[in-house]
Amino acid sequence: MSSIIIQGMAFALPLFIIAIGGIYSERSGITNLALEGFLGFGAFFGAAVVMVMTGGNVGSLEIPMFFVALIFAAIGGALFAMLHALLCIPFKANQVISGVVINILAVALTAFFTSQINTVLLGKPTNKFMLGVCHTFTVPGISKIPVLGAFFTDVYYYIPIIIIIALFMTYLLYRSRFGLRLRACGDNPHAVDAAGADVSKIRFIAVMISGAMSGVGGICFAYSISSTFSPSIYAGYGFLAIAALIFGNWKIGPTLGACLLFGFARSAGYKLAQILGLSSAFSDIIMILPYVLTLLLLVFFSSSNRAPRALGEIYDKGKR
Amino acid sequence: MKKEKKATINPINRGFLSVIGDDRRQSISIPLFAIILSILAGAIVILLFGKNPITAFVSFLQGSGIIPKPEYAAKKSILTDFMSMMNSLTPMIFAALAVAVALKTGLFNIGVSGQMLVAGFIATITVGYSHLPPAIAMPLVLVIGVLCGGAAGAFIGWLKHRFNINEVVTSIMLNYIFQYVISYFINSYYVNPVSRQSNPITAGRLTLVDVPAFGLKMDIPLAFLLTIPIAILVLFLLNRTRLGYELKIVGLNKSAAKYSGINVGRSVVTSMAISGALAGLAGVTLYLGYYNSIMPRTLTAVGFDSIAVCLLGNMHPIGILFSSLLITIISKGSNYMSSIMNIPQEIAQVITGLILLFSACGAYIRYKVAQAREELSDLKLKAEQKIDGEGGEKA
Repeated sequence: MSSIIIQGMAFALPLFIIAIGGIYSERSGITNLALEGFLGFGAFFGAAVVMVMTGGNVGSLEIPMFFVALIFAAIGGALFAMLHALLCIPFKANQVISGVVINILAVALTAFFTSQINTVLLGKPTNKFMLGVCHTFTVPGISKIPVLGAFFTDVYYYIPIIIIIALFMTYLLYRSRFGLRLRACGDNPHAVDAAGADVSKIRFIAVMISGAMSGVGGICFAYSISSTFSPSIYAGYGFLAIAALIFGNWKIGPTLGACLLFGFARSAGYKLAQILGLSSAFSDIIMILPYVLTLLLLVFFSSSNRAPRALGEIYDKGKR
Repeated sequence: MKKEKKATINPINRGFLSVIGDDRRQSISIPLFAIILSILAGAIVILLFGKNPITAFVSFLQGSGIIPKPEYAAKKSILTDFMSMMNSLTPMIFAALAVAVALKTGLFNIGVSGQMLVAGFIATITVGYSHLPPAIAMPLVLVIGVLCGGAAGAFIGWLKHRFNINEVVTSIMLNYIFQYVISYFINSYYVNPVSRQSNPITAGRLTLVDVPAFGLKMDIPLAFLLTIPIAILVLFLLNRTRLGYELKIVGLNKSAAKYSGINVGRSVVTSMAISGALAGLAGVTLYLGYYNSIMPRTLTAVGFDSIAVCLLGNMHPIGILFSSLLITIISKGSNYMSSIMNIPQEIAQVITGLILLFSACGAYIRYKVAQAREELSDLKLKAEQKIDGEGGEKA
């Protein structure tokens, strides 16, 4: 049971922070299919900075380097997201094509730069950065509580960080003036314009936030799942986050629920396969659990689903 | 006087405007302009490596069999390269058409990869492992592909229509579900212990492999013969039939469609079914044509790249034929380019990305052209007024 919770949280929270990024972008009216690219590029940037700083060998600096990677992943994600923002806002590109293009570019650029950096640092063009594992901690005392204690046992360092960021982002979106305007941009940009705010600027910032959040989520995946940065980071988690945020009706609270559902269904599936002693082929069947569950739940809950009204529309000041 | 100077349009801009042409010509000239821009950008990237961009671009064309290479291995020639390029072009065209049909109805089919996999897998286990003669097996493979892909697409459309489930979410979920379930079946029943993929098919492969012809050994993608008729069929369906008209109206304005008596739900299901059927064709031509086996636990990138290819082709079936050709030339020629130029192969992908990036800006170029044209006509108007005014004074 406890391993289901530990592993479930380790998967659900990075997914959640990526989905929050997606919510920011989509609530501001910019369709964001580029989350996959953002998270990959962000993770690449964080990992690359660590590699360059340590000369290719993390060694005993695992813990401080994790925080360096986290910060630079956010920066890298935000910088890369500017490309999406530039295409979608001043260049008036189709937001769907821009998202797809950004994903293609991210895969190409990270693969290319990873092998280039490795050639310089290690002398061989491998496609991986070895990051070392992300350490965990156990809260003394509370972790002894049955069942719930698992939430405080072997916690990855990034989990409390993500929770703090998520709380702040929730506050920013729902309780601040900026958040109000951002949400208005997605539903009625002309009203925002009439109120004297700059729609393009707000949307630009929203997309950059979405890149930063995806970068954080991406580097957490890189640390927790494989403790390396490699092209396997592009496993569709960005698309999963999009599914989670649509499932969550573009609201942060329900999206958290969707992410936890994914995470726990996934880890429960793994555990089940382990207990039943199933072959690896059979565990594939169990892997569909989170997705089937989502579809079933959507059948019951999506009748009230409603996208932001101006989502995907290019903002044209002169249009009524 | 000062104001006039600001409003003057220099001859370069004027020439550019006349090349870009009117609205009708723009649908071709703007993507072409975007491609030229991206080739320039790609050339800069190659220059950064200290290589000659012209040689690099020529080697893309050589690698994909458009222009001859300096030398060939035994039994190989420009024709074999060209055929092999056509072989990978075929699924791309079908997949991009699939995306286009859904987009015309305002639906975003991101599940093309999953639908391709399902169609390919079912065709593989039903016909692929049989011993039917090719004349029966091949049409059967195509039919099964269309039916399976169509069913998967229709299911997504039905969920959208019946339960208001966003088609993007359904498609993504189904992508995973198909991927894992099919991986289970392959690993349990059809796995080849050496390649770790499904066993190679024994019947119904849509590409004839290593055919000795003209003293060469080449692959002949028979399904390619279908791409152009089907693109024309899709064009006909969208522009010349009642059904296509209804689909497009639903895509343009759902409410208007509803009030004019169009059954929106049925249109959604139909559109996704057609889209899925085309994806199914892409699937069988990929897994029972280009390949002859299925790699478990992987979705093909064709389904995702096709979204961009479709939009590069302006969602127009004929445009898609050309945009698929361009993207396939680059990806197919990248191997040869990388080996001959000693440039990492990923650069090809970067160039593809750049082409799509610039073509995404097409709307912006169109907007700027319209703006410049307005300025030009304002200027002409002003000049005419001025002449009139002067004339008046003299009189």
